[in-house]
Amino acid sequence: MNTISVAVALAASLLAASAPRQAPLDGTWRAVLDLAGGALPFELAVSRQNNRLVAAICNGPKCADHAVVTQRGDSVVFDIADYAATIVAERRGDSLTGTYRNVGRNGPRSIPFRASAGRWPRAVPPAALLGSWDAWYLTDQRRSPRVIQLTAGSGGLEGAVTSNTGDLGVFWGGGTVDSFSVARFDGVSVYILAGRLSGDTLRGVFHAGLRTQTRFVAVRSTGAPHLTAPTELTSADTVNPFRFAFRDLEGRLVSQDDPRLKGKVVLVDIFGSWCVTCHEATPDLLELYATYKPRGFEILGLGYEVTGDSAQDNPQIRRFRDKFAIPWILLHAGASVVEETAASLPQLRGFTAYPTTLFLGRDGRIREIYAGFRGPATGAQHAKQLEDYRRIIEALLTEVP
Amino acid sequence: MTISHGILLLGAVFAHGAWAQTPDAVRRERTEFAEWLATSAVSPWRAIVVRPIGPGLSLGPASADIPLAGIAAGRIGERGGRIVLSTGEREIGFSRGRVQTVEGWPLIVNGPPGRATLTVFGREPVRRKTVSHYPYDPKLVFVVTLRPAATAGTQALLTPDGVEAVASNAGTVQVSLGGPARTLQVKRLPGATADESELEIYFRDGTAGKGSYPAGRFVSLLPRADGSYILDFNRARNPFCAYNTVYPCPAPWSGNNLPVAVQAGERYEGGGLEVKLP
Repeated sequence: MNTISVAVALAASLLAASAPRQAPLDGTWRAVLDLAGGALPFELAVSRQNNRLVAAICNGPKCADHAVVTQRGDSVVFDIADYAATIVAERRGDSLTGTYRNVGRNGPRSIPFRASAGRWPRAVPPAALLGSWDAWYLTDQRRSPRVIQLTAGSGGLEGAVTSNTGDLGVFWGGGTVDSFSVARFDGVSVYILAGRLSGDTLRGVFHAGLRTQTRFVAVRSTGAPHLTAPTELTSADTVNPFRFAFRDLEGRLVSQDDPRLKGKVVLVDIFGSWCVTCHEATPDLLELYATYKPRGFEILGLGYEVTGDSAQDNPQIRRFRDKFAIPWILLHAGASVVEETAASLPQLRGFTAYPTTLFLGRDGRIREIYAGFRGPATGAQHAKQLEDYRRIIEALLTEVP
Repeated sequence: MTISHGILLLGAVFAHGAWAQTPDAVRRERTEFAEWLATSAVSPWRAIVVRPIGPGLSLGPASADIPLAGIAAGRIGERGGRIVLSTGEREIGFSRGRVQTVEGWPLIVNGPPGRATLTVFGREPVRRKTVSHYPYDPKLVFVVTLRPAATAGTQALLTPDGVEAVASNAGTVQVSLGGPARTLQVKRLPGATADESELEIYFRDGTAGKGSYPAGRFVSLLPRADGSYILDFNRARNPFCAYNTVYPCPAPWSGNNLPVAVQAGERYEGGGLEVKLP
């Protein structure tokens, strides 16, 4: 090292030593996105993993998807690579102020962000509102059904919103005697559901993204079906064996004649690595796989991804496979647009949801179809769906081909 | 939060009258949009071709429908709603609205099945004179009530970026711009995700062709927590055809011709349709 570079290094280290030191970012930050319709609270749990600073995005007690955190001076960047999104903030002591950003085709989508060190206080759930509500979303002259579930969770009020094609994951928040507000931010979804009870009717607003607001009215669930059953949305050719031919992650063509599938009861999981509900469904599929594989059961994952180009999509599918240590066959089937997926599976009619689950008998024919997935946030609906899956698989396993 | 934010905003309006400065939020939106125009791979400034895919388009050599250096002879076509670019060595699937870069050329496919369009962007950033705005006028910020349309209805129309979409009649709003109250038609356009939509007004006013874009401008309704909306003409923005003549221009919406000049929002100084300005 020559004299000049030593002097420069020395000066740099002196400068670094004399700069005021920021407390480390590690720990929990109570954060807010400021939407047009109100503030969306969530938490960022910052920790060190393998010498890297990462942040989990938490809705109450439920945390998901890590963001990689970088700091330069007072500037902090949370890079949410899965969704090509970032939070860029300026740090002033115990507060962060900045912007959440992702990019659509019409320009940047940005939402003001702020956070302070510490957790959000856990609110007492409003007892009068707990339970299941049959809701109608009202848009212009149309209405569409949802089931809203409000439950007392470990971290306050938890919520779930289920449509005909599944739920949006856990919402979290609190309320007063007769009103509630629960929210969800997972790096890409930006939702607030808020309402107030008047008489027997719950009225409120569902906020999505920066400025979409949908009014809803709801009454207590009676037990009569409010949503279309998941088995009635999509139908199929049940006469002929299910046919397909897609490439696996190594580029090999796999079809219905693959020896790993022949003569087995097969659960076909039509999924996307970008699909939050698919992430929620996978642990249950792993459990089914472990239980029934020894008796002749197999799972086939058909991945529909962001671009439809395997060179770009396969790394995303591998990431998904590695996250859950998925042991079954995963194929790259195409692009994640409902029309395109439907076109690639001509034996299905009315394809509408990711995930969609097909159950094939040992003869290869489609026997049952479930559109969407009711995740753990939906409680009893989730349990019932898994019960149905087990019943179907057990029945098909006992059939003689 | 939003109510108080809205009240603060309006309070500032009344306190400062016409001398109020551009609010931070509006300034920030403008800065970010200008930055996106200057730097994005899919900035409308960079677009070089927008073409209906129809029965298929050839790409690549000089004799192709769309000559693109570096791309071996390829053909883009629609099969059962799916858009595929086949070149000699590979097939590239397109997902609507998402960028695919092929040999350095950013490509986007948009539009409904059967009527998809391909937009090709240049390989290098393009610098143009950036967007400009009328001085911020706090008198042109309105709190409005959306009156539902008497009858439900949908129609195919062009979004700000010239893409065909199915819009529904969301209703009407009324504003006082001097003289009698004016009624404007509001349509609901698809948003960034299935849960989102945008309430938009495409309007022409007395400045059309004399400072603002001749075909009209878009302005979004911004919801407030109490169910009303903010209609801020300072946020009126040009359709993409104002930035680049390759984009198709949305036809004016009937009923949205304002006989008064709305001197707020984005200006037009040429660059799209080359119209003479006084």
